[in-house]
Amino acid sequence: MESARLKRSLTGIVLLALAALPLFEPHQFVLHMLSLVAISATAALGLQLLLGFSGQLSIGQAAFYGIGAYASGLLSAKLGMPFIVAFFAAGVIAAVVSLVMVPITRLTGAALAVATLGFSILVYLVLKNEEWLTGGSFGLMGIPRASLFGYVLAKPTYAYLLCVAVAAGVYLSLLRLQRSRFGRAINAIRQNEDAARACGVKVTLLKSQCFVIAAFVAGLAGSLYAHQVRYLAPTDFTFWKSVEILIMVVIGGMGSLFGAVLGAAVVVLVPEVLREVGDYRMLIFGAILMVVMLFGEGGIAGFLEQCLRPFSKPRA
Amino acid sequence: MPEALLEAAGLSRRFGGLAAVDAVDLRVERGAIHGLIGPNGAGKTTLLNLIAGALAVTRGTVSFRGADITRWDAARRAQAGIRRTFQNLKLFAEMSALENASIGLHAGTHAGIFAALARTPAQRAEEERIFARARRALEFVGLGGDAGVAAGKLPYGHRRLLEIARAFVAEPALILLDEPAAGLNQTEAANLSRLIGRIRDAGCTVVLVEHHMDVVMSVCDQVTVLNYGRKLAEGRPAEIQRDAQVIEAYLGRGDAPPSKHALA
Repeated sequence: MESARLKRSLTGIVLLALAALPLFEPHQFVLHMLSLVAISATAALGLQLLLGFSGQLSIGQAAFYGIGAYASGLLSAKLGMPFIVAFFAAGVIAAVVSLVMVPITRLTGAALAVATLGFSILVYLVLKNEEWLTGGSFGLMGIPRASLFGYVLAKPTYAYLLCVAVAAGVYLSLLRLQRSRFGRAINAIRQNEDAARACGVKVTLLKSQCFVIAAFVAGLAGSLYAHQVRYLAPTDFTFWKSVEILIMVVIGGMGSLFGAVLGAAVVVLVPEVLREVGDYRMLIFGAILMVVMLFGEGGIAGFLEQCLRPFSKPRA
Repeated sequence: MPEALLEAAGLSRRFGGLAAVDAVDLRVERGAIHGLIGPNGAGKTTLLNLIAGALAVTRGTVSFRGADITRWDAARRAQAGIRRTFQNLKLFAEMSALENASIGLHAGTHAGIFAALARTPAQRAEEERIFARARRALEFVGLGGDAGVAAGKLPYGHRRLLEIARAFVAEPALILLDEPAAGLNQTEAANLSRLIGRIRDAGCTVVLVEHHMDVVMSVCDQVTVLNYGRKLAEGRPAEIQRDAQVIEAYLGRGDAPPSKHALA
């Protein structure tokens, strides 16, 4: 089978399996954890576009995730807006805020990373200190469950399906972007900025667009998170969350959308599975990260692809 | 006098105290193959970078098709029809040869983010056009069989040709070739000379920076010689070959290029 088609069939099978999972009536807690995986995967997919495709290292995605979460929470809890409105508003608000990043897209590498980290710290402080709006350290309570067309998604199964549907929608959208003129151009920017410019690619514009898309997607993920856990605290959106999203993308495999999803699953589930070992769990988690990175830049997705290679013909 | 496609007047670029290009006037006629030669460090690549917009000029002006483009950035110049290759190969190593060539069509095509998300009929038709043209450009330079190969995995000579395909694919009015024969053997260099002729015949004006004198002398209509950032001589290849100053610039110094590259 041709490698692109093999990948497409695998993606389809995984999606079907995720959609069919509730049929097996898993424990409520399992569904909750898998919902969190889908939410994190969504945020990680946005960063995959920014980092894996366009080559811009951001350690500030928690800022947009947090802005989306609080925007959606406030709009629905305080203003009574329907979920679907709050959800898209969360994405748009995060995207608009990301426009402040436009001037820093001329930075690259470590300088860009530190600038985005600075932004993440700023947003955390705003969430923590603007008590009149965000509830400060006490957090934001009373966020309603997600609802669609007037039906409250009260059962964990429905909330889970919503999260999976959003993650899948984002996945397929970014897949289309990856295989388009835009996707090839940002890929070109990552590999050689001078050459891209010499081909007429407007480098600064496209880099900024990547920031806006990644922020929009992080905002959507934040909204899902707000309505999933229904209580927000600023400590959910510290720079550690930004680092987590970065870890998902890098261990999953740079440039691979499927990898971002796998990375999210590892980062969300492994510490949970290791809960039994108590104090040592972060130690083991750290060791796992180091071992996975020994696979090389391809991460988990690259490793799997190597395992599948004997079964697929290279693209003609 | 034939029409000038590109004109540089008093063009200078300083790096700190060093004038890499010093008050150079250059006139490239439409339809010409214009050679830029000179010893190492003469400022040829700097001059090319000033024309392509990769470097800002310190003084002087560049005009293209009669418009002053001195302040235009590289992307805008590329869009306007000035394309280039790089002396030290700047390919998109992980992308296939076909995708590399397709990036050359970025300017001049239009589908944006929303068209890609919706996969509109116009977007799909444009994608087909892009890849059909990219494929033709690969065939034009003789890389038709390498379309699916990652650029980083191509042999050296093929990478040089891919640089040319990427610059030529949009059929620009002006194409700047920066030492395309560097590292090629005699057969490959002879093929390259023919390719440069075909690029001109396809309607592109060519500026050629080259050390390989066989290539320069066989294809150029006009040659400008630079030395220490200044214009030393200008004329038809045969005239340049006889010019005493040029011979001295090349041969009268300890670091003259090896004999193969020297004037025949």
